[in-house]
Amino acid sequence: MKIFFTWLAICLLTFAVVAENKAKIEVPLRFDRYYTYDDVVEALKLLHSTYPLMTKLDIVGKSEEGREIYALTINNSKTGEALSKPGVYVDGNIHGNEIQAGEVCLYFANLLLTKYGENEKITKVVDKNVYYIIPVVNVDGRYHFFADAQTSSSDRSIRIPKDDDRDGLLDEDAPDDLDGDGNICMMRIKDPLGDYKSDPEDSRLMIPLKPGEKGEWTTLGSEGIDNDNDGKINEDGEGYFDGNRNWGYDWQPPYVQNGAGNFPLVALGVKAIANYIHQRPNIIVNFAFHNSGGMWLRAPSIKEERLDQRDVAIYDLIGKNAIKMTPGYVYQPSYDLYDTFGDTDSHMFNLEGSYTFVGELFMRSQETYRDNINKPLTPASDADASTSRRGGNPEENRELIKFNDNLGLNELYKPWKSYKHPTYGDIEIGGWVKMSSRLPHPFMLPELAHRNAMVVLYAAEQTPEISMEIFEVKEIGKNLHQVRVRLKNAKGLPSMSFKSMSSKLYTQDMLKVTGVKVVSSGRITDLRMNKVSYQEHKPEIIYMSVPSYGFSEFQFLVEGKGDVTVSYSSRKAGSLLKTVKL
Amino acid sequence: MIKNVRPILLAMLFLAVGVILQAQNGITFNKYKTNSEVQKALTELQLKSPSRTTMHKIAESPGGEPIYVLEIGKELKNVPAIFVGANFEGKTPLSTEGALYLAKMLLDSANYTRKVKWMILALPNPDATVGYSSTVQWERSVNDASVNDDKDDQLNEDGPDDLNGDGWITKVRAEDPEGTYIISGKDSRIMVKADPAKGERGKYKLYPEGLDNDGDGEINEDGPGGINVGINFPHLFKTNAKETGLWPGESPEAYGTMNFIFSHPEIAMVYTLGTSDYCLAPPRGGRKGGTNMESLKVPARFASRIGADPDKTYTMTEVVEMFKAAMPSRGGREMNAETVSDFLGLGAAVNPLEDDLKFYTDFSDKYKSYLKAKGGSTDRIAGDPDKDGSFELWAYYHLGVPSFSMNLFTPPKPAADQKPREAGAREAGAREAGAREMGARESASRSSEADDTEKNILAYIDNKLKGTGFVKWQPYTHPTLGKVEIGGIAPFVTSTPPATQIDSLCKIQLPWLLQLSKKLPDIQLMKEVVTDLGAGVYRLEMYVENKGILPYPTAMGAKNKQPAPVVVVLEGENLEILEGYKRTPMGDIGGNQVKKLTWTIKTDKKLIKAHIESPLFDATIKQIKIGG
Repeated sequence: MKIFFTWLAICLLTFAVVAENKAKIEVPLRFDRYYTYDDVVEALKLLHSTYPLMTKLDIVGKSEEGREIYALTINNSKTGEALSKPGVYVDGNIHGNEIQAGEVCLYFANLLLTKYGENEKITKVVDKNVYYIIPVVNVDGRYHFFADAQTSSSDRSIRIPKDDDRDGLLDEDAPDDLDGDGNICMMRIKDPLGDYKSDPEDSRLMIPLKPGEKGEWTTLGSEGIDNDNDGKINEDGEGYFDGNRNWGYDWQPPYVQNGAGNFPLVALGVKAIANYIHQRPNIIVNFAFHNSGGMWLRAPSIKEERLDQRDVAIYDLIGKNAIKMTPGYVYQPSYDLYDTFGDTDSHMFNLEGSYTFVGELFMRSQETYRDNINKPLTPASDADASTSRRGGNPEENRELIKFNDNLGLNELYKPWKSYKHPTYGDIEIGGWVKMSSRLPHPFMLPELAHRNAMVVLYAAEQTPEISMEIFEVKEIGKNLHQVRVRLKNAKGLPSMSFKSMSSKLYTQDMLKVTGVKVVSSGRITDLRMNKVSYQEHKPEIIYMSVPSYGFSEFQFLVEGKGDVTVSYSSRKAGSLLKTVKL
Repeated sequence: MIKNVRPILLAMLFLAVGVILQAQNGITFNKYKTNSEVQKALTELQLKSPSRTTMHKIAESPGGEPIYVLEIGKELKNVPAIFVGANFEGKTPLSTEGALYLAKMLLDSANYTRKVKWMILALPNPDATVGYSSTVQWERSVNDASVNDDKDDQLNEDGPDDLNGDGWITKVRAEDPEGTYIISGKDSRIMVKADPAKGERGKYKLYPEGLDNDGDGEINEDGPGGINVGINFPHLFKTNAKETGLWPGESPEAYGTMNFIFSHPEIAMVYTLGTSDYCLAPPRGGRKGGTNMESLKVPARFASRIGADPDKTYTMTEVVEMFKAAMPSRGGREMNAETVSDFLGLGAAVNPLEDDLKFYTDFSDKYKSYLKAKGGSTDRIAGDPDKDGSFELWAYYHLGVPSFSMNLFTPPKPAADQKPREAGAREAGAREAGAREMGARESASRSSEADDTEKNILAYIDNKLKGTGFVKWQPYTHPTLGKVEIGGIAPFVTSTPPATQIDSLCKIQLPWLLQLSKKLPDIQLMKEVVTDLGAGVYRLEMYVENKGILPYPTAMGAKNKQPAPVVVVLEGENLEILEGYKRTPMGDIGGNQVKKLTWTIKTDKKLIKAHIESPLFDATIKQIKIGG
């Protein structure tokens, strides 16, 4: 605790300095530094006040620590009400440490608003859809990632404490910032029986021993002490509660999956966002940004679950394009990484009927220091390969540290420094810092944000564009007409996913005839052969959908005279109306 | 859609309106209470004992009804609590009465509230109760959430209709060439599936009583309401199924219940009053799936890392040891069954664990003897088994506490001398004899269980309800089905006896739940042995006992690690612990078991202190004498 207060004092001091130096937030937004939670809120408010007619700023809900979760809606009301258009939803940072996800969301919002009316592609895509953007889901996590000492991977959790070590105390033994530098780094101790030695090429690095070599170091895990005197260090930190295991679809309890939370949607922010999305049934495509590894993940989340091949084809359309826009990233079903239950992508795809991608932003291999990036690094020797899980490929580590030295302004790595540890005695603390490893250095941030935001834009261009044509009106008897209607989709996303249809998730698109009596109706299965599959009941409404880059044709036999109105209405693909005189 | 028709026969169910059972607490049990009467009763109970009780509002139903938990024993600290949930499906009004009755018993006598507190949720699904309380009765179990059941252009447009105006939604039978039902040979009131192998051909189609209000060819497929709270809990939750909701806890009722329970870690046992009965028979097993911890395979990607053979099977203990050896944790996450399960992606438990079945079996045997002694009947028609997504399953599998359910009423099986009165029964007997003569013994004895159940229900209606409860098949001209007949067993007959029986049913059965409360684990510091090792160093051996019959936690609780840990804490001036720790989680302890904890300590004082830290158990500080 004492350490914490010393650290807090230092932090507040540095914060004051940083605050003065920090660039003012202006529109267009700049992406050469990371936004704190407060900065994100300020940026959203500024975007809203700069574009009051195009945007709406909502507070979706509040977090466990009372922070507000904001959603920015971008909609051109001149081209229609929000709910009447396909919805494109983007969020990020459900894991508190995965902060660049927030920047990608802000970048996307900034791009749409500042280029609207200036760039034709943007103008078109803004006019056809509505955008819902929640840059920070885990608002407490983002706040604490900046404010507290962390590793690059800690602070994922939702702020609901959990007794990880089952000793009756909650979150009582988290890592500690022993040297007060605002980072949780690594601890090591000199040890001739250790598994590591210093890298002869760069003494800051350690490499695993080869058989027969003498040891120099034993690693001791993250910076910390045994706060609760139970003989274990750092065994009960924040949470652990993973917001992205707490969604409703196929949720499993914590003993099956660590971090699941006690029951579905128990995290306030997750529940608020689930409700927010549920109230916007027009959402047809979702993106949830995370870090890291360079991946585009899609449903299903568990191996046993099968996806309709027709839905896979839709996912492929976006996913296979996405990996070209973000070179090095892979596109795969989420279970290929590992099985997960209660995650965003399966919830949104299965329960909201929205094609959903998880974008795992950033690959560390992009931190290059090489004359020819196409030339691979010296491959690890066999011996290295066998121990690679312990220390990584030494060549890679050397490149990463030279990247830090030559391009990263020495901001990514802390050289080892001695420290007197209450339990271990003389140790050293050092290694990769909080803002390293999973985050691109700020100089690389704009490109990362742009490339990934453009994937969202590509998906937004693919939202259905349905047109309706009454292509035949024929008198086939006294007072009896045959009216034939064709619905065409000019884009890649169908008006309804196949999964939503097979699971009867919600009311399908409706094609409705009014103004005359409908005697019978049905789908035209073969126009040339004049084949119609008639429906038995309620001929005035046909429940249907319009496929990707395709069409559907229908026939109504109607009795009467005058105006016949054919209306098409879809939850996710808008609505259309046509009238024809008999 | 529901025609406002006076229920002519309904009055028959309330024959005993005059019998007022004035209880000590002012609550009466002479009729089934409406929502507002339940709320009033809870408030009355609370106001009569304000120092012992408190009311928690845990949710509001989509229909706007508040949902309350009555806490009894609020003044007690460090004691276990029993949570009682009743009527999650909203169609067993007797179970709500049972919960109130139990509350009354607890407040009338202090016998069962000395070392345990109670939390009573009498009516978690108030919206559904309109199915019982309205003038036309139907068995409704869904709340008022907006769910478009048939996914068309209208909401709740095709509910049941009381076509014959008798106040009940029963059945419609329509002759249809594609029909699969015939009139039972055993009792002409019963419809059975035709068995083509026996030379039978279906003659009727069966429909619920109603119209095709929206003209889509279906009858009663989109009635009022949405989610059945009783199947909206996470264990074995069914996705994309009828009335389950989109996800577990989508209903505010289930969400609020889980939220309340998780904010009270002292809840050590859960009772459910409804249709299943874990008191009479242990929770059922035999579900496919789940993982056998004694026979695990290690996937290839881990096998090579930990030196396992991916083709061989191992016990969980073996796998944990392999992981420990291969991935030493210095600080960080420890390797144990939980973390390894996580690595291997082992799924959820789906069947009750064997160690837990021991107490379930033992208690159910005792319950049967108890009932016999009380003159209660065990020979009755079985109620519905626990449903996937039900509260009682969730309580056992996710909370890891003993979960006991009780069904307060199903019709008795008829005694040998009480046969259904209908003449058809005799004909059926004759036909059966004929079948035997023809040598078709096997097929005759294979009479379906459902058929028997219905026969027993009819016997109950004939013998105990004087025929009220069965609507004789009567012709009716249906707008879309044409000439049909309406009839069948009336709703609620099998779950809801005449209100005159509430008192006696509760009085006989509910005390068992009070008795079960005495089986709760009770963990205490029993005794200690101090050995002087010299130089101010002592060995302290502490015996911790579970004086209760039930283990803490259950085997399931040990697996899911949800029950609150019990920690033994040592304190003292100048106390140095050489071996062991100041706070020692004591792990699992069986019923009537003793566990020994050992420390080596150093102190120059004559006294140290020890106590148990747990939301459930006595935290009294024990003074321990050290040295002479």
